[in-house]
Amino acid sequence: MTAHDPTLDFQKVAKPGISVPMASFLGFIGLAVVSWASILWGGKSGFSELFMTGTWTGVAEFIGQLLGRGTERTPAFLDFASWRDALRLSLDTIAMSVLAIGFAALAVLLTFLPAARNVAFGELSGSRSALGCAGFFFMRGVFVFTRGVPELLWAMLIVFVLSPGILPGAIALGLHNYGILGKLSAEVVEDLDPRPARALRTAGASNLQMLLYGVLPQSLPQFLTYMLYRWEVVIRTTIVVGFVAAGGLGREFRLGMSFFHYDKVMLFLMCYLLLVLGVDLIAAWLRRLVR
Amino acid sequence: MHSGGVSSAVRIFGGMFTPELSPKFLALALEATWNTLTFAVTGVTLAVGIGLPLGIVASGVLFREGWLRTSTVAAARFALAFLRSIHELVWAWLFVVAFGLSPMAAILALALPYSGILGRLYGDFLNDVPQNPLRALRASGASEFKTLAYGRIPMAMPDMLSYTFYRFECGVRSAAILSFVGIQGLGYQIQLSMDDLLYDQVWTLMYLLVAVIVAIDVWSSVVRRNLTR
Repeated sequence: MTAHDPTLDFQKVAKPGISVPMASFLGFIGLAVVSWASILWGGKSGFSELFMTGTWTGVAEFIGQLLGRGTERTPAFLDFASWRDALRLSLDTIAMSVLAIGFAALAVLLTFLPAARNVAFGELSGSRSALGCAGFFFMRGVFVFTRGVPELLWAMLIVFVLSPGILPGAIALGLHNYGILGKLSAEVVEDLDPRPARALRTAGASNLQMLLYGVLPQSLPQFLTYMLYRWEVVIRTTIVVGFVAAGGLGREFRLGMSFFHYDKVMLFLMCYLLLVLGVDLIAAWLRRLVR
Repeated sequence: MHSGGVSSAVRIFGGMFTPELSPKFLALALEATWNTLTFAVTGVTLAVGIGLPLGIVASGVLFREGWLRTSTVAAARFALAFLRSIHELVWAWLFVVAFGLSPMAAILALALPYSGILGRLYGDFLNDVPQNPLRALRASGASEFKTLAYGRIPMAMPDMLSYTFYRFECGVRSAAILSFVGIQGLGYQIQLSMDDLLYDQVWTLMYLLVAVIVAIDVWSSVVRRNLTR
């Protein structure tokens, strides 16, 4: 690898200009340099605080409080009654995540077809319509918008309308994941093997029959994989929508932080670790079943 | 649905069509967007810096067999799992309590969970490369480190780059919501406008956030198309 190879230079000359990935890479490096510079030299950055002993004693004290130092009672994570309450809240949280992914999946199953390029532009059915094209851009726009707004913002808007509880959190999570699942599902349909659908069409199948026998059997396993993957993400995110008064563990976590009950915060963090681990295991098991 | 639900829904979603566009507010909104973008960029670069070494160790490609390999792999995997199982907003809260409201708290809060996710995926990509070129390298006497540098990393590069881009897009969204613990940026402005019930301003900020995310999405899909070709 040390010897200089002239053929490599030749290949470089033969390709005119700079490639798109390389340009993007350099562009990103440039962006990174500007960003780091603007943070480090743009006023108080907190970077020098990283190297002060005062900061780290503060961190140590905080971790000590998380581990239950300084509370008169038994720390919440060693107390049976508070574990029981926390586990009940965990059930709420699981319910919220399942509701959310259920809403998202149902909505996606009803709307993914117009968003797939090959369906909308008539490559599968053999007939192209203006309605299909309009539907494609409309659905893609809806996916981008619901996906672009984070769950927390959806939750903040929705708690203005619905009473606080599990439902607004589930709707907020569902909206955001609807955009993500919709995009992923539409891409699955775009990557389908078109031959079964064409064969059905030449045999005289209607649109509904093509959907049922040509598109769904090929794409459902992939849809399910994506749903399970998003479910794993949703269970992590339930804590965040909980912050804005949607129920479950998240709200109690926020209250614990606000009242400086750090031993409770520790308990809720432990519950989250268990939930995340449990959901990962269940999802892995379901994924093996689907395959 | 509570009693005032319908009327507030009408006002909130009515604001969708009348976003506030006065120059003064737009300047504020653009500054907030820039803040959010810098946090995302710095957080993701730091996450790559932490996640890449951890991911390489976790994939177990550095050593052949033995107790050293087993123990380092287990330790790195546990570290990555721990980093990513706590949400970035929770990290942010912990860091703000510890460090105070400074950009560094935001960057670290973003970088730690993202390094957990990136590290795990990098490790998987490095393991999943075709094995034959690696055998050829080993047969010609390359050490495990050289196999990594000249075999695994170049082959896994396209996947790693495109996944990092995807995480960058997520990073912008996360940086926006990090503001809810009081860090400057789009989310902070959204929260302020929401508290004042100025829904027109909320939607302007939302549209800016969506615009940034769409821009990154388009950018990364162009890069991905060029990489796979």
